[in-house]
Amino acid sequence: MRSRVLAVAIASVFARTASASAEEGPPVAILHARVYVPGDHPPLENATVVLASGKVQAVGINVPAPPGALTLDAHGKVLTPGFIDADTDVGVVDIQMEAAANDTDVRGGPMIPALRMIDGYNPRSALIPIARSGGVTSVVLAPRTHLLGGQSALVDLAGDSVAECVVRPALAQYAHVDEETVQETAGTRSGLWLMLREALEDARFYSTHKAQYDANAARWLRLNRQGLEALQPVLRGEQPLVVTAHRASDIEVALRLADDFKLKLVLEGASEAWMVADELARRKVPVVIDPLQDLPQRFDRLHARSDNAAILSGAGVPVVLSTFSAHQARLLWQRAGNAVRLGMEHDAAIRAITEAPADAFGLKGYGRIEPGAVGNVVLWSGDPLQTTTRVEHVFVRGREQPLETRQTLLLDRYRTLPLARDGSR
Amino acid sequence: MLIRNATILTATGKRYEPGFVLMQSGSMAAVGDGNGPDPKAGAVVIDARGKFVTPGIIDPHSHIGVYPVPETTAHDDGNELTDPIGAGLRAEHSFWPQDPAIERAVAGGVTTIGVLPGSGNLVGGRGIVLHLHPRRGARAMRFPGAPEILKMACGENPKRVYGVLKRSPTTRMGNLRALREAFVKAQKYSRDWEAWITKQQKPRAKKPDDKDGADAKPPDRDLALETLALVLRGDILVEWHCYQADDMLAALQLADEFGFQVRAFHHALEAYKIRDVLARESVAVATWDDWWGFKMEAYDGIPENLALITEAGGRAALHSDSAIAIQILNQAAGKALAAGRAAGIKLDEDDAVRWLTANPAWVLGIEDQVGTLVAGKRADVVVWSEDPLSTYARAELVYVDGQLVFDRAHIGAPWSDFELGVRAMPPSKKETK
Repeated sequence: MRSRVLAVAIASVFARTASASAEEGPPVAILHARVYVPGDHPPLENATVVLASGKVQAVGINVPAPPGALTLDAHGKVLTPGFIDADTDVGVVDIQMEAAANDTDVRGGPMIPALRMIDGYNPRSALIPIARSGGVTSVVLAPRTHLLGGQSALVDLAGDSVAECVVRPALAQYAHVDEETVQETAGTRSGLWLMLREALEDARFYSTHKAQYDANAARWLRLNRQGLEALQPVLRGEQPLVVTAHRASDIEVALRLADDFKLKLVLEGASEAWMVADELARRKVPVVIDPLQDLPQRFDRLHARSDNAAILSGAGVPVVLSTFSAHQARLLWQRAGNAVRLGMEHDAAIRAITEAPADAFGLKGYGRIEPGAVGNVVLWSGDPLQTTTRVEHVFVRGREQPLETRQTLLLDRYRTLPLARDGSR
Repeated sequence: MLIRNATILTATGKRYEPGFVLMQSGSMAAVGDGNGPDPKAGAVVIDARGKFVTPGIIDPHSHIGVYPVPETTAHDDGNELTDPIGAGLRAEHSFWPQDPAIERAVAGGVTTIGVLPGSGNLVGGRGIVLHLHPRRGARAMRFPGAPEILKMACGENPKRVYGVLKRSPTTRMGNLRALREAFVKAQKYSRDWEAWITKQQKPRAKKPDDKDGADAKPPDRDLALETLALVLRGDILVEWHCYQADDMLAALQLADEFGFQVRAFHHALEAYKIRDVLARESVAVATWDDWWGFKMEAYDGIPENLALITEAGGRAALHSDSAIAIQILNQAAGKALAAGRAAGIKLDEDDAVRWLTANPAWVLGIEDQVGTLVAGKRADVVVWSEDPLSTYARAELVYVDGQLVFDRAHIGAPWSDFELGVRAMPPSKKETK
């Protein structure tokens, strides 16, 4: 439980620094914790983690708390890196079915690679504390639709301004080559792949013909200038191309495309990825999946099965687990827990929501508790993947975050009935 | 068939640790502490040491079979959006028994579902209670002796669907007007039939031109009004999709006006705000553990809903409304229990099991037959690998009427014809360990 010292200090810190940057404040020492550390190491028992200047400063068994640090005795409870949901709309949607409260589904397309999800992010969304209350401290805001849907962003779930929250404003580019997009766009999957190839070829052409383009002397190109520019980091291999595809044969086409254009590929959805597990493992292609999607929901995923994550992980594929949700990003722990239920190793499932998403997107210092890493950590009352476990403390960039949400306020208001304001009735 | 050495969660408040369940001729012959009676010669004995046994899970709100997978236009059969009063419809007539979701639900420990039409209409039509074993049609899966159930809907969905069509209802008041008009007609329909029956029963001298006597033609049958007349008589259970507290209160006002009882509000994310009223009126709540925010009327959902209703003396049940969520309803109970306890609400594990079994049985009117592990009830039983409220729990054996319908260690050919040849690969070693 939180020490009195820390509780008092937090209250004053929050009162004082409503707009101050997240990194300010005294160091924090979390003592006697069971700490999940990177790689294949078992968790450290009875360890200390020191957070300072927004980062993890020290991790170890005999690490002293720095002078002046706020201390938190974990009493042997579990400390993990803050979870990273690799595909969400947190902060981009408040209510799914109210168009005005939903910035996930842009009109236009089918190719809008210059779009940046970060421009729709609202750091005051009610969803942010709710996601955080489930131990999620960072999310990838990912485009949901279109053949080329635009660029995702990585944000930390704390802070009052976009500038404060944002970690990477242009993290990755997204291509959707699933049944829904086929039906909305080219009508056939071969037609859709053709459009994608042409767009990439045009972007490559543009990179060597910019002068002609600006002089209006280039040939016709499928994308506008912003789109052509947006694809340059993808062609240079600096930005991953995240391809949503489900059917095993579609995944094979994605691999060929990645070869032809020397792309850094990440797969998402990937219901039938288990059928090409060995090839994905050989190439070390990260695969982002929802382990609960075991239904033959559409014809491009008739071979969906519940142990997709277990098979991929067992074959050595870098598996990332995601909720693909906004309101329920808080349940990322449950996705990982179900992957374990369905055969994945427990430590691999934890890595699949911490290190693996960080590695898939090249996020140095994320998803791990080690010196120099970002100070995003969560203290759990027990096994983080278990139904009975509660989140007790959440730190983002070294600062503790309140666990109050709109839902806890509703609970407080309705904890006893009738309400005082109901009058005498 | 004797299952013994397991922790038995009966959903009656009793827990046997270790205990036994004896099944015979499709029913439970005995449930209790210890090893149970010496099995008769030829009886199957399952040593379930370390495992847990519960009643089969009952999902009172499913669209399996009426919105089957794969999601094809050819099978999009859950909402007949041509008349908001769809009381003449029956989900039974849309149900596709080859839905691959059925077998996956059973693998999640579910033995009975209430299949309902969608919520696009104010009156969606009659639902059907199904026992989950593979059969060629809905009628053969029908839970024996289950009462008729009627799906109704309030709030956003009907007014949105018909608003797009520029037809009434386009507002909440339009919703209520359309329903009241329908029940006014149903009252007249009931009166006309009662009058005709009364006349039939009254002996009178026959005259050649007697139009009112025994020769009088009966009133024309009207399938929609026939169903609504059953509602007025209390002969069909009203299962009402409603999210907001104010919408539920308006629905109860309408039920009072026409003198019928609401069996359960479904979804009911704001039930916690009026849990005193719902408990007093004996209206059950079928809901999720923590869904929220997908539409305006779902914005105030909180994870403590089931716990608060239970604390107030109401009857709370879990439902899925989803072919994914139905596979992990046991986890939903675990989560809702943990949320309630964290809020300081006194609950025990039996309360959480009741959310999955006894209470949804009541919602569907089959509480005398299933929902608890007691002698005499149908042998719908699940053996779990561990505490079913754990994330890691897997249903290992599932029995319906004493018949083994799912055995995780021996997964055979798919139930669904559709999946023949598709699911041909062997299950991984991990999943079957």
